[in-house]
Amino acid sequence: MIVGEQKPLGEIKTNVSPYHRLLILGCGTCVKTCFAGGEDEVATLASALRLAFKQEGRIMQITEQTIERQCEDEFIREAAPQVARCDAVLSLACGAGVQMVASRFPGVPVLPGVNTTFLGVLEKQGLFTEKCLGCGSCFVHQFAGVCPLSRCAKKLLNGPCGGSRNGKCEVDPETDCAWQLIIDRAKAAGSLDRLVDYIPPKDWRTSYAGGPRKVFREDYVI
Amino acid sequence: MTTASVRPSTGKNTGSGNIPDLKLSVFHCFNALPDLSVLDIPGCELSSINLPCSSILREVVLLKAFESGADAVVVLVCPEGSCDYQQGNLRAKKRVERVQKLLKEIGIGNDRLRIHNLSRQDIDTAEKIIRQTLADLKKTGQNPAPQPVGSEKR
Repeated sequence: MIVGEQKPLGEIKTNVSPYHRLLILGCGTCVKTCFAGGEDEVATLASALRLAFKQEGRIMQITEQTIERQCEDEFIREAAPQVARCDAVLSLACGAGVQMVASRFPGVPVLPGVNTTFLGVLEKQGLFTEKCLGCGSCFVHQFAGVCPLSRCAKKLLNGPCGGSRNGKCEVDPETDCAWQLIIDRAKAAGSLDRLVDYIPPKDWRTSYAGGPRKVFREDYVI
Repeated sequence: MTTASVRPSTGKNTGSGNIPDLKLSVFHCFNALPDLSVLDIPGCELSSINLPCSSILREVVLLKAFESGADAVVVLVCPEGSCDYQQGNLRAKKRVERVQKLLKEIGIGNDRLRIHNLSRQDIDTAEKIIRQTLADLKKTGQNPAPQPVGSEKR
């Protein structure tokens, strides 16, 4: 899932300050799971902003709504009546959702309330970790199922680097050494010998380096 | 969640000079304490909110209490390790900490929101906590953003 963190209240308050009727629009998918932009976070932020503006003697009219996904237009349309009554939208979706909402409502300022952080997993309650860069050409099978691009600080394809200590990364001792994980998994699977193969440099053209990417499924287009 | 307002607001000052009633909302697990409406505390409009477990407490509920004009909010939970639902009181503590951080950032002050563990049915300690909170409130003053503000929700 996409992992994000809600922006600090002070930053949000500054950004919404020029407006008087605000819609806080939550997203019920990824950012809900990481406690950044679901229904609960929308309600809490709305209440905190109302109190903060009240402190300054201002009344901020805040409407709250959470839709299933802000990255799909059919869900965004559900927010149209609320958007029409507001002079700005604070989106608590990832960057994709913010832009999709902005695209649907061209005349309305759409502000981001979440910092989109990475593609990751829920490791345990309250802990999310990065697992994928979205490079566009997955090759984790060559690394026993552990991606060195997203999980090794040095992005080494032919590791380890030699700086690992007790299975932890020398860059951050709180982080597992990706190459230790790769070797441990390869050993367990009896495929350690495959790690001696040289892996050539990554072709980054399928990633950000190639410009904005598209996936076009002609077979689904009617 | 059930609410009992022990001393409904009269909109008038109490008998203690010109100091208006202080509004205090007390959220408590009903396993920890009986209804607090038995308490008689002058100069205080006390709202007692019974929860089936403190884990049900959400951040927004605490903030809404301040939006509704509470001068302080007290959360009373079971001692650590004795929650009937295992971690309800620990979850409540985490949520209170998050809201305290927000209140500090807003400028209302994190000291207006407090959480206490207390032995089950220990209403005497509950009363002491409430009286101490009120005494502290007299120094810090009323909620600087007291009036309820309308919110429209879809």
